[in-house]
Amino acid sequence: MYQLRYEVLSDLIIILYERESIKNIYFNVGGKEKYMKEKIIKNLDKYVGLIETFEVVKESWKEFLITVAEFWNTEDFEKKTKSSLEKFIELIDNSVLLSALETIKSEIEEFPIEDILKIICKVNTKLLEEKKLIIRELKDALAELATPTIRVWKDVILVPLIGALDSERAQNAAERVLEFASNSRAKVVIIDVTGIPMIDTIVGGFLIEMFNAIKLLGCEVVLTGIKPNIAHTLVKIGIDFNMVTVKRDLESGLRYAISITDQNK
Amino acid sequence: MMNRVVPTIKLYDYLIVPIQIELDDTTVEAMQEQILNEIDEKRIKGLIIDVSMVEIIDSYISYTLTETAAMAKMMGCNTVICGIQPTVALTLAQMGVKLKGVYFAMDLESALKILESIEE
Amino acid sequence: MSIKIKEEKDIVVARQIVKDIAKRLGFSLADITKVSTAVSELARNIYRYAKEGFILVKEKKSGEEVEIEVVALDNGPGIEDIELALKSGYTTTRNSLGLGLSGVKKLMDSFYIESEKGVGTVVIASKRRRAF
Repeated sequence: MYQLRYEVLSDLIIILYERESIKNIYFNVGGKEKYMKEKIIKNLDKYVGLIETFEVVKESWKEFLITVAEFWNTEDFEKKTKSSLEKFIELIDNSVLLSALETIKSEIEEFPIEDILKIICKVNTKLLEEKKLIIRELKDALAELATPTIRVWKDVILVPLIGALDSERAQNAAERVLEFASNSRAKVVIIDVTGIPMIDTIVGGFLIEMFNAIKLLGCEVVLTGIKPNIAHTLVKIGIDFNMVTVKRDLESGLRYAISITDQNK
Repeated sequence: MMNRVVPTIKLYDYLIVPIQIELDDTTVEAMQEQILNEIDEKRIKGLIIDVSMVEIIDSYISYTLTETAAMAKMMGCNTVICGIQPTVALTLAQMGVKLKGVYFAMDLESALKILESIEE
Repeated sequence: MSIKIKEEKDIVVARQIVKDIAKRLGFSLADITKVSTAVSELARNIYRYAKEGFILVKEKKSGEEVEIEVVALDNGPGIEDIELALKSGYTTTRNSLGLGLSGVKKLMDSFYIESEKGVGTVVIASKRRRAF
């Protein structure tokens, strides 16, 4: 009965507003929000309890509900709701939040669930952007760490490759090595693959491309760090690193590199 | 009277040819002729092709370079290609281009050293 | 952006245009070089075999993703055996068709080709901008 009156009243509100007789029904316009606010506050503990989580998070959820109640249909609604949402949205499951909001909506018709969902979308988009930025920065840092390039002797650089080489990392590694070799005017590039757990046809292909590119710069390439099981696999699958000088370990690789650079003096 | 389509510098018995222009069929033809004539007239023993200013090397240019080196070899000259840019080197390697019959160097100094050491 | 390939100098024009576009879109230097080289190969194939054709360059953006799409079209003699042309890889014979195309395939992220003898050839290749 109460609800029916509101529906009827809202039609009247429109008509009366147009006739500029707002004053009479002002209290009714305020009524909707007041009604919702009262109902939320009255059932606050029940609604807070809809989400099972840590006390701190529950407090933020409670604050959020109060904010919705206080600021609905005011200028600051979006701003206030956004900031109270940001405090806890990453700490609870979106689906849990959604079902809690739906429960409240089922009990309070005026509960502005659509507007709240729109705001949730905006907040999530913003958080996603921030995360993407962090991911980019981490990728850069990883690229740098994953391909350390060290000048170990005059005209000799060492590149220890570490970790599994997927196509993006392999590409990054190759670009970094070539740039460094060119900038440091290296004569010998030692590539150490001790840190690469597995070399299959694809990784082998990346490595061969990198070796060939380095040779086009006029550098000699020394390959070190091939472990027994990898040596076994490489021959079985038919990969051949015959375009470079392969040395057993870093020490022999370095010794060889120094001997050829000294020769050229 | 020879048409000079590329600038050349003679250093000791070597000829340095910096590639600064876009190479097309006509210029390539003229360039190869010029180089071979200079090798002959100036008694050149080694050729250095400097590509440090070339930003794109596609299969055509690659072929041109190896072809030129083969011609120079016919006249008893070794060829060093120097100054391939890092991004160009990676592109060539990933395309699968193999430049045969030439040596590679990072700069003129290393190119000269290579030519000297081959001769010995 | 479309570039008509008819004279040899148009190959250089096509290359430069693609380079500028890739640079403006923020591609890495290595990828700019790759895309420009691929266009150079495609344009040269048009010039050499079809005598005349077009290179179309399109920017594709969807959210964070940026892609350059290159289309090479001609009404040339067409390629009889595409499989063979792509497999033959690079050889140093001046008139080998395969070298350019297989190179383009390796340099770009996606590669599509359709060709009919006596009708013409279309190649569509694209490269995504890498986050770096």
